[in-house]
Amino acid sequence: MRQEPHPKSSRSVVSIAILALLVTASTLSAHIVPPERLHEATESYRRLAFVLGLNPVDWELVGQDLERIAKYDPKPQPLIAALGELGADLASVDLDAAERRSTARRLFELATTSVARSVDARLTASRSALADHRAAAKQLYEARQLWAAFEPTVKATDPKSFLALGECWLALSSSLGSPGVLGRGAIAADVATFEREAIEVQAFLAANYGRDFSASKPGRLAPIPYSSPSVDLGAPLPAQLPPGSNINKQLPRPRQVLNIGSRGVDEGETNLIALGDMAFDSPFIFGEPARSLGLSCNTCHNKSITNPGLFVPGLSARPGGLDVSNAFFAPHANNGVFDHLDTPDLRGIRFTAPYGRNGRFGSLREFTRNVIVNEFNGAEPSPLLLDGVIAYMLEFDFLPNPDLGPDGTLLPATSESARRGEEIFHREFEGMGARSCASCHIPSDHFVDRKRHDIGSVAGAEPHSRDGALDTPTLLSAKSTPPYFHDGSLPTLRAVNEWFNESFALGLDATELADLTEYVETVASGTDAFEDTLYTLEAELEEFSFFLSTYEFLKTRQATTEIDQTLATIALEIQAHKWDVQDPSQMPVLDRLIDLAVAARSALAEGDVTAADRYIDTYRTLYLNNAEVLK
Amino acid sequence: MKNSRRWRTLLPILFLAFLSNAPASSATDEPLRLVFIAYQNPDQLLDDVQPVIDYLEERLQRPVKYFAATDYAGVVEALRNQTADAGFMGPLQYVIAHQQAGVYPILGEVYNGSPTYVSRIFVRKDSGIGSLDALRGKTIAFVDPISSSGYLYPLDAFRSAGLIDRRDDADRFFGKIYFAGGDEQAMRAVLNKFVDAVGVGQYAFNLLRGNERNDVVSLADSRPIPSHGVFVRKSLDKASVKALQEALLALNEGENTGLLKHLYNVDGYVTADENTYNEVEELAREFEFIKE
Repeated sequence: MRQEPHPKSSRSVVSIAILALLVTASTLSAHIVPPERLHEATESYRRLAFVLGLNPVDWELVGQDLERIAKYDPKPQPLIAALGELGADLASVDLDAAERRSTARRLFELATTSVARSVDARLTASRSALADHRAAAKQLYEARQLWAAFEPTVKATDPKSFLALGECWLALSSSLGSPGVLGRGAIAADVATFEREAIEVQAFLAANYGRDFSASKPGRLAPIPYSSPSVDLGAPLPAQLPPGSNINKQLPRPRQVLNIGSRGVDEGETNLIALGDMAFDSPFIFGEPARSLGLSCNTCHNKSITNPGLFVPGLSARPGGLDVSNAFFAPHANNGVFDHLDTPDLRGIRFTAPYGRNGRFGSLREFTRNVIVNEFNGAEPSPLLLDGVIAYMLEFDFLPNPDLGPDGTLLPATSESARRGEEIFHREFEGMGARSCASCHIPSDHFVDRKRHDIGSVAGAEPHSRDGALDTPTLLSAKSTPPYFHDGSLPTLRAVNEWFNESFALGLDATELADLTEYVETVASGTDAFEDTLYTLEAELEEFSFFLSTYEFLKTRQATTEIDQTLATIALEIQAHKWDVQDPSQMPVLDRLIDLAVAARSALAEGDVTAADRYIDTYRTLYLNNAEVLK
Repeated sequence: MKNSRRWRTLLPILFLAFLSNAPASSATDEPLRLVFIAYQNPDQLLDDVQPVIDYLEERLQRPVKYFAATDYAGVVEALRNQTADAGFMGPLQYVIAHQQAGVYPILGEVYNGSPTYVSRIFVRKDSGIGSLDALRGKTIAFVDPISSSGYLYPLDAFRSAGLIDRRDDADRFFGKIYFAGGDEQAMRAVLNKFVDAVGVGQYAFNLLRGNERNDVVSLADSRPIPSHGVFVRKSLDKASVKALQEALLALNEGENTGLLKHLYNVDGYVTADENTYNEVEELAREFEFIKE
């Protein structure tokens, strides 16, 4: 008997982490998308399909997921044997391109057959247990969860079977009957219905995912039901990130310091900056699959600040970054190397050229264009749009730091330990060629030297390679953006100091390390690093009004693409944030704002500028009339 | 003299305040046994509720044992068989269990500031279905045959609309009735167009992701349903009942409020008694879940 979960809970009743997201988030921060709750093997299968399509493949992750899938398979030998063929050390699997592709395909096919077998076995077990409702329900529930491994693909490529099988699962659940409560209200299992529906599901599995299953569609590994008469082989597969991914923005929200904001300027009167703000938040400047997944610059650089939770299995070595030259987001620009990069913080970016962790771009414009076109598959941005993004980013300021003077020296009110650390920071070390920390992190120049240095933190491609130089990062505002180093391999500023102490034989004792860390943390601090509220809707809506403030300016430039991107971004963003509204009675206003942005976009697409103007005027009026209550 | 008079006035008040704040004593070596419900992962549940157990042991000055049942039948059976002293369940299960096992309520849960919630009938926005009447001959999924918010109250919503009178009328009104097995399964069934409508508790909507919520709409609300609650076996001594009741009510405010998240993430508790569930019982009788 599985009836009546608690009112605000789901099946896994007191799983606090999930509930906190599902329930609290529904009222506090609904734009934080909770992870889909999947069976362990289903999760592994979906992740496997993603990871096996990458280049390079994370074979260790593949091994872990195959083992999880095999756990539920009544006949796991073929899967285990295939995994064994990769060797005992999955970290050092070395395959050429053709071998990698064929191995990936074979493992995926075996995993598909394995999951199908697991579903089939549980359906059979549920049938056998129908006299024992509790046991039958447990087996059926697990079968249904495992079937979810295939569902997104079946839904996209064979909607007719998807619907038919969805009804089968409902009929199966219903035919279990009910034991009632102490026998009261008991309903006997409907064995005939159960058998009929189970046979239909099992027949679909056998026909499509049996031993003959072949992942023959080029490009993506997906459980396409090739044998189904209703399959549409031309149907696009949905863009999906693998289970375990996190592209939510962080909470609490980091405080953004925009220079114009600090100076009291209304962003609504700064067209180029407002255009850049929109573009920074817009998935529509990227191409597929980032666009469909809702990724924007803001996803990784949340309000200019590094998003520490960002993670994509197979592309991220650790939270806070990813390999941006990968086979998923922009296959054409994949470099074939797993080179996770810790997402750089963009605060103060106008002072920190060159750009890219290895400083390969001299200008911010080149760097930004590369992100749009070659990292996230976007179309070539217009000069106007790029001007906007650059203008916006040039406003990103460091957090104010009351402990530092204009020349970057500590002010007298700081702790003695920090001041001792400042002395160490300026001390010339023999191990560093008679240079000090301050030689590269020049306090009077925003703690950068605008140069690249090989400090030995990058493993060379071959002995004596000269490919390890990295851009000197600033220390300002860095305290709230761990981890550190280009690959995020060091978790704290203390760990960074320890690394230098050891790598360059600086000879600092524990007290000196503590003092140096105190100094660096003082430099890296700032006033009010985070906002004090979890509610973001009010601020977001105000920001959308800035986006829309560019409408008249963009019309004068006949920038139809940018206007379309602006309206599409506003509609998408309100849609994403509207469930945060604290007073649900205001929801119709938010829906109306979305409708108006969509209507203006449609009118412009049809060339009806007068109608578009009217919709935009109405939007502005509606927003202004309700700004006080839309929180 | 003045001070003395003031103290004479204050003392009874302070004493009363002390009495009202003092935990009811159930100090004994005899353990209090609680049964929680965990559909899928009892071990996880038992880890999650540990902070509450620690709190209760300290507050009640007695050992507290606890275990997980995987369904409400397990909770009811444990209370009837006296292997548990108190447990958590929903209104309809209680009404049935009360009649058969002598279980009775001591507390109701509060969500979003209310000790009641509603059932809703959801359809897809693009379905063209705009009223309950338009569901005649259509398919519907409920949650479970023994569910207040996922069956009994949705049925009542159709009765209130004048569309059915008895439970078996529903079989004729709808083209097909399914029981999805859970709130989320039901919501996804309508979202994915496996069925035309679902009857579920209002919070099932929150199980959908933001973009999915835009695709469904509620046609009707049921009358208010008393929230799930805490129930005790009939023979549990009054001191223990009072102590447990007060201990959980004390979570409503103060330093231990954070423990509520370990108890189905409730906002708090209110006292409940048999009268709280009179209307549920009446409905259960009218729809023949229980007999006279």
